[in-house]
Amino acid sequence: MAYNLDELFKMVQKPARYTGGELNSVVKNKENVGVRFAFCFPDLYEVGMSHLGMKILYSLLNKQPDVFCERVFMPDTDMEELMRQNGVRLFGLESRDAIDTFDFIGFTLQYELSYTAVLNMLDLAGLPIRAEDRDSTHPLVIAGGPCVCNPEPIADFFDIFVLGEGEEVILELIRLYNSHREKGYDKTAFLYQAAHIEGVYVPSLYHVEYNNDGTIANIKPRGEAPATIPKRIIGDLDTVYYPESFVVPFIDVVHDRAMSEIFRGCIRGCRFCQAGFIYRPVREKSPEVINAQSRSLCESTGYEEFSLSSLSTSDYTQLESLLPMLLEWAQEQNTNISLPSLRIDGFSEELAAKLNVLRRSGLTFAPEAGSQRLRDSINKNLTDNDILETANKAFTAGWTAVKLYFMIGLPTETFDDVAEIISLSQKIVDCYYKNPNRQKGKGVNVSVSVSSFVPKPFTPFQWEPQDTMEMLEQKQKYLRSLLTTKKISLHWHDASTSFLEGILARGDRRLCDVVEQAFRRGCKRDSWSEHFNLQAWLDAMDDLGLDPSFYANRRRSFDEILPWDHLDYGITKKFLIKENECAHNNVTTPNCRQACSGCGAARWKKGVCLS
Amino acid sequence: MKEIRIRFSKTGRAKFISHLDLMRTMTRAVRRAAIPVWYTEGFNRHPYLKFASPLSLGFEGLDESMDVRLIKDMPAADIVDRLNRVLPDGLRVHRAGEPVMKLSDIAFARYRMNFKDNNNNLSKFVTEQNIIAKKRTKKGLVRDIELSPFLNKADLIKNRNDNELCLILPCGSETINPALVVTAYEEYIEQCQGQHIKVLCDIARLALLNGDGHLFV
Ligand code: SF4
Repeated sequence: MAYNLDELFKMVQKPARYTGGELNSVVKNKENVGVRFAFCFPDLYEVGMSHLGMKILYSLLNKQPDVFCERVFMPDTDMEELMRQNGVRLFGLESRDAIDTFDFIGFTLQYELSYTAVLNMLDLAGLPIRAEDRDSTHPLVIAGGPCVCNPEPIADFFDIFVLGEGEEVILELIRLYNSHREKGYDKTAFLYQAAHIEGVYVPSLYHVEYNNDGTIANIKPRGEAPATIPKRIIGDLDTVYYPESFVVPFIDVVHDRAMSEIFRGCIRGCRFCQAGFIYRPVREKSPEVINAQSRSLCESTGYEEFSLSSLSTSDYTQLESLLPMLLEWAQEQNTNISLPSLRIDGFSEELAAKLNVLRRSGLTFAPEAGSQRLRDSINKNLTDNDILETANKAFTAGWTAVKLYFMIGLPTETFDDVAEIISLSQKIVDCYYKNPNRQKGKGVNVSVSVSSFVPKPFTPFQWEPQDTMEMLEQKQKYLRSLLTTKKISLHWHDASTSFLEGILARGDRRLCDVVEQAFRRGCKRDSWSEHFNLQAWLDAMDDLGLDPSFYANRRRSFDEILPWDHLDYGITKKFLIKENECAHNNVTTPNCRQACSGCGAARWKKGVCLS
Repeated sequence: MKEIRIRFSKTGRAKFISHLDLMRTMTRAVRRAAIPVWYTEGFNRHPYLKFASPLSLGFEGLDESMDVRLIKDMPAADIVDRLNRVLPDGLRVHRAGEPVMKLSDIAFARYRMNFKDNNNNLSKFVTEQNIIAKKRTKKGLVRDIELSPFLNKADLIKNRNDNELCLILPCGSETINPALVVTAYEEYIEQCQGQHIKVLCDIARLALLNGDGHLFV
């Protein structure tokens, strides 16, 4: 006997992940809509529902009268098993219809380790996972998000990648789709034309040839497809669409709060950080617009907390005028404001107190590297003194816990640099005990979190070899050996997941077979540590005659053709090479507000590049 | 400050909202509806809400209860309207008013149990004398509970399949979850037919009752 959905919900953990029906979710009459869109997040509901980009596009699409956009997440293992046993195909939360009859299936790709989850979701939907096996009767499978700046390892599974910011291009795609449908839709014809929309990359229209040593010989467009594909970018954040309401989940999700975007991009250019380059240039939203949007979001959701969202809150130039506006109504409504990634130095003490800044975020720093030398090399402008001074102030105010974020495996890193992670942490411990006004009778706790660096495309480190797993583990061991006090607690990420991330991040199209093989070998939930199985991936690569270290641990020369060279995020190679050389000479680069370094993003004539 | 008791139903998709999630959902609804409720003091201020006995995940509730405190007067009809305008599908407020009984007066609840099987053993099951449920206590111990006294008093609703029960179970300091009745029924069928089958059952809590069997108000 096959159970129906309602019965399945009674048999699984946290059924509210699958039931839909949350406040502000949009259910449309299917008869009245032309285009059905499944917005898929290849991870659990709790993770996907925390993602701002998905909220924006969900609302934007549903604002179009003839589009019905539904949310789809990766079911947990218990639900997946029951679905497969009972022949239930992956469905949209709003209509509970199977998504294989939809017009578009759109994935957002936030991290490389979600690739097999994508294949699993297509498979659960009953769709062929490869684009070439899907014809005009199937939905178009598209993707956006940071990972599509090098989508080559998953190029065979998608019909379309959308580069850059999606608000405009997604509607253009749907418009084109509708016009093709009027004439009788043919997938191939549609894709050829879609490739001419700016920001649309149709991977099947490009042919890649390889040299004998495995590097790329050339990437050739077919037919009229453009030789390079520029990303899309929104010019004016004050007028771009922003949701007036968010779906309010029943269950507790990772970020369960309202979020207001305050700017896009980042002025800093930390050399390890992909987000710092692919979202350039910085464009700010005005305080008045942020204030109005925040207020309407809080009122329509009832959220007791909202956060300002950006890559670095402190770099918002009008923070001091925005915060009083927000506080005025937030205090009255008992709504808390959270300011993530805020640099506490240089913050007025009165405002800090009002916002309870420390209470909320705790005292956290991200020096990323232990030594000043290495921090200069990665262009992270934060000094020991900045950290110690702020920490000291917080200790005086009664704080006893500090969190620090570091990376190991950065280019040019030596064991001396690694050792300085511990010495900096020790300096903070010492600073606590030297402070005569510290909280009496309490010890200090410095929590040190160490992740492993993964070189990413479109950064100055895109040519650098990633540390091998052995090397990373040695550095971790070394760190532990230097620990002499219980006041410092050390946590690190598993080197094996970073290794796989490293392979996929800079991979080429030959890895598509590997991703499929890994999926066939049972990898579906790589981003969940309890399901992660590196060996299955290595076996798949071995079977296909591909060498993991070729992708992860090899230094590329500046003139090698990189798998993502036909994608154009505005940042010139010349600039990235210069930045790479600066890194090796420990020379820093000023941020966009201090001086323009000519990265190439000025081409769009937007935001900070204009001032 | 005035205490107000809000009575609502939780049906359809909303039956899959857990008790903890229901509290959060109602908190936000009260905020959206801008009902002038009292907030707890302290660092994490939130509206003060007090629910009558929690309802298990997957059950419907037709007359659930939640108390709030008003810091400004607001007519009951207004409260009902405002909440209904902002509640998600499946949650519906029916009435609001000053509490008459104490929450601790609740001693029983009436349930409707709709069994999705065609065994037709139900009419016999409810007349049996020795139906025992195994109840797990908080300490992890298993305790035997006599279900027969409650089952014997249950009404078997006459419908096409004779598969619907209406019964009263303790729901206060002592509680018997109707899910235990389903398990006991599965065991009973197994005894009769020699094989275990999973019995699906839709359960709804119809009413909360005090020790005398009167409707909780
Ligand atoms: S062009 Fe200059 S100002 Fe614009 S993003 Fe690049 S470095 Fe910054």
